[in-house]
Order: sequence, then structure tokens, then C-alpha cells
Amino acid sequence: MLDLYDKIQESVAAIRNAWDNVPRAGIILGTGLGGLVDEIDIDASLDYPEIPHFPTSTATGHRGRLVCGRLKGVPVMAMEGRFHMYEGYPLKQITLPVRVMRAIGAELLVVSNACGGLNPYFQCGDIMVIEDQINLMGDNPLIGINDDRLGPRFPDMCEPYCQRLVDQALEIARRESIRAHKGVFVAVAGPNLETRAEYRFLRLIGADVVGMSTVPEVIVAVHCGMKVVGFSVVTDMCLADALKPANVEEIIAVANQAEPKLRTLVRETIADFATLRLA
Amino acid sequence: MIISDADSPDCRAERLLRAAEFIAAKLAELPRVAIILGSGLGSLVDYIEDAVAIDYADIPFWQQTHAAGHSGQLVFGWFDAQPVIAMAGRFHRYEGYSTDQITFPVRVLAAIGSHTLIVSNAAGAVNPKFSVGDIVVIHDHIDWMHGKPSLRFDYGIYPPQSRSDAPLRGVSPYDPILCEKALETARLKNFSAYPGTYLATMGPNYETRAEYRMMRKLGADVVGMSTVPEVLQAQRIGMRVLALSMVSNIAKPDAPIRGSHAEVLNVGQVAEPRLRAIVREAVQASTTG
Repeated sequence: MLDLYDKIQESVAAIRNAWDNVPRAGIILGTGLGGLVDEIDIDASLDYPEIPHFPTSTATGHRGRLVCGRLKGVPVMAMEGRFHMYEGYPLKQITLPVRVMRAIGAELLVVSNACGGLNPYFQCGDIMVIEDQINLMGDNPLIGINDDRLGPRFPDMCEPYCQRLVDQALEIARRESIRAHKGVFVAVAGPNLETRAEYRFLRLIGADVVGMSTVPEVIVAVHCGMKVVGFSVVTDMCLADALKPANVEEIIAVANQAEPKLRTLVRETIADFATLRLA
Repeated sequence: MIISDADSPDCRAERLLRAAEFIAAKLAELPRVAIILGSGLGSLVDYIEDAVAIDYADIPFWQQTHAAGHSGQLVFGWFDAQPVIAMAGRFHRYEGYSTDQITFPVRVLAAIGSHTLIVSNAAGAVNPKFSVGDIVVIHDHIDWMHGKPSLRFDYGIYPPQSRSDAPLRGVSPYDPILCEKALETARLKNFSAYPGTYLATMGPNYETRAEYRMMRKLGADVVGMSTVPEVLQAQRIGMRVLALSMVSNIAKPDAPIRGSHAEVLNVGQVAEPRLRAIVREAVQASTTG
């Protein structure tokens, strides 16, 4: 665990070599949501293999590069392609980029994902601003000896997603006429999709959407003291009593269709964050 | 001796034997009761008379602790005139230990003759009826630790006297007589203690509000990051088990307040005399009854 600190420094050095700006925000783009990088004025772009200790992205719809530049004038770093537990990566490795973003100077983490909708009021293509999360991955990225230089042993999780930013994002959605909700994201390890009984269970325990990512990154962001805002794109509805077989191509198509909405929300949320000093 | 094949049963037995022999050689009498002291409850060792302390670092094959508030010693002595052995400092999944490493001390303490295990911990209450400082007598648990202790047990040199082939299905690991005794002690000493269900997570982060709501719905009364591995191991090898939580904070998902480890250590000072009273009665009940 204690060697993590050195690994972060090495990754930071490699990125600093290519880009000397200080990002206000780090962005993680989920399955089929990579289009946001088109809006970034790119100063530097690093493929993951060029950055020490970064794993390689193997998942469908994930490209695998780190884009550094300015989004509506605000310096940002965006991960086009993320890592998942189901790919076999340990959670410590999956979450390393978050610590790197923090070490380079990002105060805000913006996470996005494609997810299954459990709340029957949601529709395919809707955006859910993540209000809270449930970790059912059966693992935790903070296990091991704690390095106090990186964060506290027992991070508090009473507000993992900044409530002010949640409200802000919902306001932007109303302004831009985007159908958006707020709700609870539950993370499972995957990679199989859930059974009907599991969907009923996840709904029962209070989740609105389900996905296979995001939670480890957010736990680490809280550990290292970042503010977090998260967006889930509902790419298929998982209603246990009216369930159709999932089709990954369709899911990615819905994600691509909904992507412009996500792009707007991320861009405007970051712009607001950069102008408003959030306490 | 160098033990190389870590997974072979012979080596497991060998490690256990070496640790047990080392500890037994230092003791005037073999303790019948083993106590694991959790966060903030370490001061119970101050009431153990003629104490002999053994550093974890000295015991062969024993792990070291890292958590704040845990020192890492095995303390033998007389508590209420009965020989007991207490673990001051325990091992947690969130520190990176495997379930086998966490439960190794339980196997060793059983091997030197302990037939009762008393476990304490600090836990967050998801049952809104509980208050900070209350004691929860754990009657059952929900295991979300994602790791079961090994099913093999090496009996070692001193098999526990009350060992039985405990049926594992549908049988609570928590001794009903010791549970009743604990609740009775609370009534007599006039403090609040409740029977309850303990939910064990891996941690180390505290729960989100959504997670607390989920746990409440699932039937948990308190949530913590320990105890269950040791209890399952103790049950497996036929020990009587009493497990106690002190309520260190109340999870109020609809009116959240930040949790802190320092707070947990503080509440320990209030709950510690209560816990000590229960442990005193339990030690008597399990050595005489």
C-alpha cells in the first residue's frame, strides 16, 4: 500500500511532462460516453500505456487515453475509457487515476457511467444525477495498510456526492430541458447482468440504477478529499417483471444517443464549479 | 525451522502448534476464557490481575496490528479470580489480512485450552431505537465480509474441553445462556443492553446514507468491520461465544453527521465499565456453569 504514493508521483511526472497546466476537474467517461472529449480543446493526449502504472482499458466502448486540455476554458483531465473490476483489475489499480488527478491538482471528480434503470419512473436515455451510492462489489479499494499521506483510515461517506453540485446539475438539466433525476447508484462486480430476482433485491434495498463501476473511484475520491459529481445514463430498463434480454450493442447505441445530454451537463457543471467557489 | 509450503495442512498445524507452545510456556495456568478487545475497549486489560503480557511481535506466526487504538499484545492474568487471556489489538479485513490470518489467534487460543470466546467491538447503530453508549448483545449476524474462515481445524496440543462437532446449519454461533446472562447483568446494573443483529462489512470507509438504509431494511441493528470472522471460527471449533457491541454512533441516514474514529475511542470510556460488568458475569458463567 505504501508504494502507492510513489506510483502516483511517477504517473504524475509522466503527465506533467506532456502538460503543465493544473486541472480544476478530472473526468471519467463511461461506456459509450467518450464523445465529451470532442468539446475539449486538447493540449495533450496520452495513451494509457504511456503513463506508468495505468492499466490498459479492455472494455467495449472504451478507448483508453487520457486527454488534457480545456473544457469551456476550464483546465480538465478526462479519461476516455475506464477500468472495471470485471476486467480483473484490482480496485487499487482501477482507482489509481483518481489519485493521480488529485495529485496533479484536480479538486473535483466528475464520473459518468452507463447503467440499468431500476426505478420504474426512469426511461431509457434519461440521465440520473447520482445522489448517493451502495457498494455491493464485495471489495474495497482502501483495503490494506492506510497511507496517511493519501487520506484517512476510515473516510466518512455521509456525503460522497457534493449535494450542492447535485442541485446545480439538476438546475442545469432543467435549464437545458434535459430529462434528469436524482437517485442512488448501486455497484456490483459484474460482468453478468443481474437476474430478475437480483433486480428486485437491488430495488428493494433502495437503488435507482445499477452499474459495474464508479463506486471504487468515488470511494477513493472521498478518501483523497475531492468533491464528486456523478452522472448515470440509463441505457436499459431493468424492471424485473417486464425484463427483456439485454443487448450490449443496443446499450452502447442508447449511450451514444444520450451522450450529447451528458456532455452538456458535464460541461456546464464544471463551468459553474470553476466560477462559483464552493465551500 | 523454515516452513515453506504455506498451504499444506501439516504446515498449518505446525504454525498453530508453534504459536500455542510459545504462549503456553509463558502461562502459569491455561486460560479457559479468551477475550478479544475491540476499538476503545482496550482498558479492560487494566483490570486483569497479575498480568503477563506477550507482544504479538514475539509470538511465532502471529500477525502485527496497524489500527489506531490497538496495541498488539496478548495479556494473560486473573479476572475475577478466573484465568483469562485477552487480545489487546485485533486484525481486520480492511487492513489487508485474509480471513485465515484474522482467525489464526482464535485457533491458537482454543489450542491452549480456551473453550469460551468473548468478543467486543465498537459499532454504528442502524436501529434508531439505540443510543450512543448502549450495549448490544449480538444474537445473530449478517456476514458481508466476503471471506469464510478455513473449514479445517488443527486441534493442537490442548484440545478445548467443551469441543463438539457443532452443527453449522441454522444454529446461531452465539451462546444463548451467555446472551441471557449479559442482558440480565445489564438489568441488574441498570444500563441499556439489547439483543441485536450485527452486520459485518469489510470497510474501511464508513457507510453511505443509502447503505445505512439498505442495512436497516435487511434487518441489521448494528454495523461494524470486525467480529464475524473470529466468531465463525470459534463456532467451527466448538467454542462458546459471547459477542458484544458498544454503540459508538447512531447512523441517521436522513440527518447525517460525520463519523470519526476519535469519537469511537471516546465513547469507549463510557461503555467500557458496562462491558466489563458483562464480561465479569460471562467469565463466571462460563467457568462455573
